[in-house]
Amino acid sequence: MDRDLLRQCLTYHGEALFNKLKCEQTENPDFQAVVSELCKATYESKGEGQGNPLVEQFIARKADILFCPAWKTATVQEEEHEEEEGGEPYAIMPPLELFMEVSYDERRAMLYRDLEKGDIVVGRINNIREYGFFLTLLCVAGGLKRDIEDLELSALCHVREIPSTCSHDDPLSYYQIGDFIRAGVKDIDRYQEKITVSLHQTSLSTSLEHIKLGVITREELPVHYSRSVRAASDSSETYQCILSSCHGYHNPSVVDYLLEKVGVSDTHPPSMMRGLQSKLFQQEDFASAIRKKQSASWALKCVRAGVDHFKHGRHVEAMNEYNKALEIDTNNVEALVARGALYANKGSFLKAITDFELALENCPDHRNAKKYLCQTLVERGQQLEGQEKLVTAEGLYRRALSLDGSNPEAQEALHKITDTIQKSIRLREEALANEQVKAPSKQTTSAEKLRKILKEERRMKKKRKRSASSSSSSSTSSGSSSSSSSRRRSKKKKKKRKRSERGSKRHRRISSRESRKSEEGKREKEKKEKDQDEDEVEWYPAPPNTSATFLNQKGGPGFGERDEGKDAEEKRICQLYSLSAASEDEESDSSRRERKRRGTEDSRTKRRKNSQSRSPEREERRSKSRERRDKSRERRKDNNRRDSDSKRRSSLDENRKRRVSCSSAESGYSRKSSFRSEYSAKSGSALRMRHDSSKRNSFDGGRYENREKEETCELEEVKRVSESREEESSRSDRGHRKRSESAGDRTEHAGVTSVQDERLKKDLPANLLDIFNQIAQFEKKKGAGPKK
Amino acid sequence: MFGSPSGGPWDMEGPSSLLSATQTGPLWLANKRESSRDAESDSARDTKTHFRVCRFIMETGVKLGMRSVPVATACVLYHRFFEHGSMRVYEPYLVAMSCVYLAGKVEEQHLRTRDIINVSHRYFNSGSAPLECDKEFWDLRDSVVQCELLILRQLNFHVSFEHPHKYLLHYLLSVKSLVNRHAWSRTPIAETSWALLRDCYHGAMCIHHKPQHIAIATLYLALNSYGVELPVGEKEWWQVLCEYVTKADIDAVISDLLQLYDMEAKCI
Repeated sequence: MDRDLLRQCLTYHGEALFNKLKCEQTENPDFQAVVSELCKATYESKGEGQGNPLVEQFIARKADILFCPAWKTATVQEEEHEEEEGGEPYAIMPPLELFMEVSYDERRAMLYRDLEKGDIVVGRINNIREYGFFLTLLCVAGGLKRDIEDLELSALCHVREIPSTCSHDDPLSYYQIGDFIRAGVKDIDRYQEKITVSLHQTSLSTSLEHIKLGVITREELPVHYSRSVRAASDSSETYQCILSSCHGYHNPSVVDYLLEKVGVSDTHPPSMMRGLQSKLFQQEDFASAIRKKQSASWALKCVRAGVDHFKHGRHVEAMNEYNKALEIDTNNVEALVARGALYANKGSFLKAITDFELALENCPDHRNAKKYLCQTLVERGQQLEGQEKLVTAEGLYRRALSLDGSNPEAQEALHKITDTIQKSIRLREEALANEQVKAPSKQTTSAEKLRKILKEERRMKKKRKRSASSSSSSSTSSGSSSSSSSRRRSKKKKKKRKRSERGSKRHRRISSRESRKSEEGKREKEKKEKDQDEDEVEWYPAPPNTSATFLNQKGGPGFGERDEGKDAEEKRICQLYSLSAASEDEESDSSRRERKRRGTEDSRTKRRKNSQSRSPEREERRSKSRERRDKSRERRKDNNRRDSDSKRRSSLDENRKRRVSCSSAESGYSRKSSFRSEYSAKSGSALRMRHDSSKRNSFDGGRYENREKEETCELEEVKRVSESREEESSRSDRGHRKRSESAGDRTEHAGVTSVQDERLKKDLPANLLDIFNQIAQFEKKKGAGPKK
Repeated sequence: MFGSPSGGPWDMEGPSSLLSATQTGPLWLANKRESSRDAESDSARDTKTHFRVCRFIMETGVKLGMRSVPVATACVLYHRFFEHGSMRVYEPYLVAMSCVYLAGKVEEQHLRTRDIINVSHRYFNSGSAPLECDKEFWDLRDSVVQCELLILRQLNFHVSFEHPHKYLLHYLLSVKSLVNRHAWSRTPIAETSWALLRDCYHGAMCIHHKPQHIAIATLYLALNSYGVELPVGEKEWWQVLCEYVTKADIDAVISDLLQLYDMEAKCI
């Protein structure tokens, strides 16, 4: 209990209160501790006895609250200067004693009692002497509002207390009689009743330091002073009138403002009722706490329903429930884990990882979240391995191991991938060496004619094939080349060289068309242009809509290539696939995937043919394959899609990036993907792709530099795409592709011819070399793959 | 589901019952009130119930993070509603919940019914788990919203009131200038007067006295409690603050207020 306060109170109320206190606070040990001291205070009291017994009873009863030191919540408020700008946040009232008409002597005594060093006074200069000037005090600025104008108080401002602007000037010359001066109180002699003031800023107390001292205009006089002047002159101006006429009084947030000013908390409001002592309220009874708990419980209910849906295979409903749960309770750990598991199940590993990570952020010890995240990281890593993004995959494995050091899958995968990386680095070095050999031969133009002839021949062949083969050439639309013989394939390989040059030309063209090589024939130029145009259409339209990425697995030309298993090339690609699969998965897995791919290929090619009214007998196979596809979609989706994409793109960019950065083109993949599905029917891309696939494999070692970039790109892309959207767009795209089929076919012819034309013109010897290199590399890989 | 802590039935029968009450008349609660306290006079019993319900409003207000003025509005709404309405017709706690909700709207501190229901539920069933999102919850919510409309109609849409809070705060600043700053900072007059002002909403006194009088009375009592003396001139300080206030007015408010504190001991 605050003794001083209690003594003050007892002095005021006298013995009656003391007796009641003794009666009411018998059980209060705090009071018992101070009671003896208080006896004295009681006898000093005026003992008037005219106090209201009810009030005394109240004080006595509530003494433990009233005099509790914790009752006082207000801290000493910094006395801020009245804002003299128009917007007063509360009504600034004239001093109360003006209306109360307190006597002259009492007011004078009160001022000398309460004025302190560091306060601000405002006065008018009434006399200037050589040692300073005298002020007649008008009012007190700052916190203390007193009516002192008529008290005839004068204050001295010594010349030393006037800051001089320039050294040789008399500072007093700046001041004239009648000037309004704002000054800080330097000293008060309470016995002699003398006040000295200063114009130095340092004379002010710290809370008032920002107020500028010196001459002020009439407008700068404190608001309460000007109001009191008005009130004094007009007796009809009562306190209430002035209050209700003030802008500040009508401020809608005046209560909040003033509560803060007087230091009362409105969130933990004081009350004299014992039941309403806010310290007694349990924190968990507050609205926010209950809401939080309730949200969690509601969300958990949704999660449970979602898990139930999930168990019954209703994945869409499950996802809806999870999302609902997360809407109710953002960052609900269980919902995040469940949704992550569903994403992982659906193959959206990135989304799954995001969810698991968020869950772990909120609950770092969540066992399932950790376990699932670990598994998903490994799966994602394997997926990336399939896309030849070895370094990123390695990073994921390492992260998985950091989460769960004993995870055998992750350990194994990491081990494998380290081997693969080392191997691919070696391969890349070899490839670079090969390229250097090939490089000089590129410029030869002697073989152009031969190339032209070859190209014509091939075109003829292709035409023949297209017309002839309805069922045998499964990938008609995707290039009509997959059905070609091995001889043709060798030609295609040659094209790769040419294409690389073409790519460079195209890029040049994009930046500036006139920089094209002059030695090239006009016809060639034309063809190139056509080709380029087509390429541009194919690659550059770039809505970053990823929904289509998912379609590529179905429409992607990558499958067309593999359609004919008899082809040597086909075999090679298959091997490539199994190789990558083997390195990322178990062998069985790779074979399984292969089967799945087969299924999609079939369905896709069938679709194409159907659109061209071919091979009706494939209809049923198509539906079957679609079923299969649905089942294994998530897996294939990424693998296949990316494989084919990267192949195509790498062909485009290989020249620019000099092979080393084949995969950098993949960074553009998200941009292009949406269009690709539409144009995948074109032969050019398919042809190119095939070469790239081989090249890609041989040079994958050089690619990691760009992998990180791709990864982030992909990550963003995948995040953006929702599962449902993928599904939807795939459906629409199927139809779309059919529609665009005819158009694609038409362009196809032109494109193919031009592509081949050009390619044939290019250096044969280099291509041959290339082929040999690649074959050698594949042999190597084939040997290495299963071992890994 | 709700049981009032005092044993009085907390009857929540959902919106249908409330609608029937508002449409067909005072049936849904009247028969539930047991006659054990018949000996007490009706008014005394009602006052006690009102006290408890206002306590409920205050407590709910604190837990909902309501500011003082919205809580005051809620209490005034409540008292005004039962000025004419009978407690045997309308369930006071439901009215209180709706008053809290409506006061939030009137005073621009919007509250969510969900929070109001949650806090109230926990008030009546302390330690209970939060409500499920089921029909019961939605029925409760409907009840609160329907009752809000009922209050609006009952009060003829006069739902904004002048509160003493503004006056008290301005008076505090004026009186503060009269007191030595060290004496002021030592004495918790602002806290005490604010607490007294909030507490006076426990009873119907908050609608029977002028806001200025209440403000002056709480300040007077706070100053008196700490024995703080103000200078006296031709007029007392309270005479200046409000022109026509008399010592009798102040004493009446104080007496009403002190009665509330007496009631606290009887009710809880």
